[in-house]
Amino acid sequence: MARKYEITIGIECHVQLKTKTKLFSEVDNDARGKEPNSCVSPVDYALPGMLPRLNGEAVRLAIRAGAAMNAKINPDSRFDRKHYFYPDSPKGYQITQFYHPIIGEGFVELPSGKKIRIEHAHLEGDAGKLTHFDTYSLVDLNRVDTPLLEIVSMPDISSPEEARDYCKELWRNMVYAGVTNGDLYNGNMRFDVNISLKKPEDTKLGTRAEIKNLNSFRSIERAAAYEYERQSKLLDKGEKVIQETRGWSDATGVTTGQRSKEEAQDYRYMPEPDLPPLSLTQDFIKAEYDKCPALPADYRARFTKVITEDTLEVLLDYPELVNRLAEIADGGQPVDYIANLFASVLLAEENQSLLNDNLPSANQLTELAAMKSKNELSSTSAKEVFIKLFEPKHCDKTPLELAKELNLVQENDSGALEAIVDAVLAKPETAKAQADYKAGQEKVLGFLVGQVMKESHGKANPSAVSEILKKKLK
Amino acid sequence: MEVTEQEINHLAMLSNFSLEPSEKDALKKDLSGIFKYIGKLDELDTSGVEPTYQVFEMKNVWRADEIINQDADREALLALTKEERDHQIKVPKVL
Repeated sequence: MARKYEITIGIECHVQLKTKTKLFSEVDNDARGKEPNSCVSPVDYALPGMLPRLNGEAVRLAIRAGAAMNAKINPDSRFDRKHYFYPDSPKGYQITQFYHPIIGEGFVELPSGKKIRIEHAHLEGDAGKLTHFDTYSLVDLNRVDTPLLEIVSMPDISSPEEARDYCKELWRNMVYAGVTNGDLYNGNMRFDVNISLKKPEDTKLGTRAEIKNLNSFRSIERAAAYEYERQSKLLDKGEKVIQETRGWSDATGVTTGQRSKEEAQDYRYMPEPDLPPLSLTQDFIKAEYDKCPALPADYRARFTKVITEDTLEVLLDYPELVNRLAEIADGGQPVDYIANLFASVLLAEENQSLLNDNLPSANQLTELAAMKSKNELSSTSAKEVFIKLFEPKHCDKTPLELAKELNLVQENDSGALEAIVDAVLAKPETAKAQADYKAGQEKVLGFLVGQVMKESHGKANPSAVSEILKKKLK
Repeated sequence: MEVTEQEINHLAMLSNFSLEPSEKDALKKDLSGIFKYIGKLDELDTSGVEPTYQVFEMKNVWRADEIINQDADREALLALTKEERDHQIKVPKVL
């Protein structure tokens, strides 16, 4: 689509790190399905005299996340207080890294090959959750000081589609790196999209609006597209875009202006006196950096010749499937057939629930692919065995055992097949077809193959049957 | 440095305090005195001096990522709040 204005987008993303405990206290960090205020310590309540204690695992995960963004790790970083008054923060400030963040410049490479630069990323504690009622609000502190990594991109993104691609690739990288559960539904990654418009000939960027708190790739793309329309209409009319925070509604499909938390954005940042600074050695940084496993970009490079781009992009949303393919490839076995089974059978809508079950092992999948290529299983039967291997009652069986049990092994033994063919040819009801074939009507061969398949209860290999019939009816 | 009434009002708003006029006057006087006292330091040339962030010279102080049961349970902590409802802290409506 040709656009009248150029779009400039920068994105801030909050990634919830999957530590066992919170960033500054020793209570459970996983509050899913738990009662309000049940994962809260006196530190989270900011009771007088309570001191934060930094979670070392959050530091390690931040470094690994930095590796997943090709980023420089700053050996020296420290924490600051960001003050604001709101009931979601009993302390009256958020502990964050304003002046000296742990992660410096990096980049995320999109599937298109374009690199989106990362400005920096820093550790900070989350706020509590508010629920609003008619005359009052309720505060749940379970989420207070859950460790977040805020990743700030440079304004390198130039379309709503690219904004979606960036967020998706960042999500994949963080999930592959193992630093977050990446559960978008539960807000494990939340995106703030800054967007401004300018005429192509203008050198200065336009005034930006920030759309806060998006948590799905689709809403990111839709909200950015809506914001383009809204801002371009204002500019067309000669009006000005106001710099403000806006909220997005999936239901109405529009963004609306929000009142700011604190009228005066005066956060009075100051060094956090309760937390000593970090001064990491290169050895420590390298040890964590090296723990970052293969990322989507690595798999694209590795599988580019064997799996089609479309199939691979679909599979990359499922790290456990891609890891399994890598395991098979590590064993020197082909992955193309299995990749297609994953994409076209497992991820078909009616089978998606299998993802919650037991994923067949590399050995099982390799054997299944071999049986298929040796024609011991028809493609329909191979799919059936594949699906059944996910079931807990079958998951310990080999594909051969399971295929035998289901009576699906294809008969390839030519002696056995010939016997069945002979029996069928001896039947009076096939006599006319035989005569027609010999008279040159080649299409009746299909009928005869069908009769043999029926006689074999579907277990004969149809192409082998066809060859035998042709030979016998010469 | 003299602290103005406007600055006192701004600070009061940021700190969520409501102040009587007499309290504002007293604060204005006290804060101005404190600024004047601290302002003495401005006479020193500190360019090129690394800022002091802390005086203990500790670094890399962190703990293991292990859950520790807290002495104070949910009800004990909620009991410290002004008002509770459904195990949550009830506050005046904010938006």
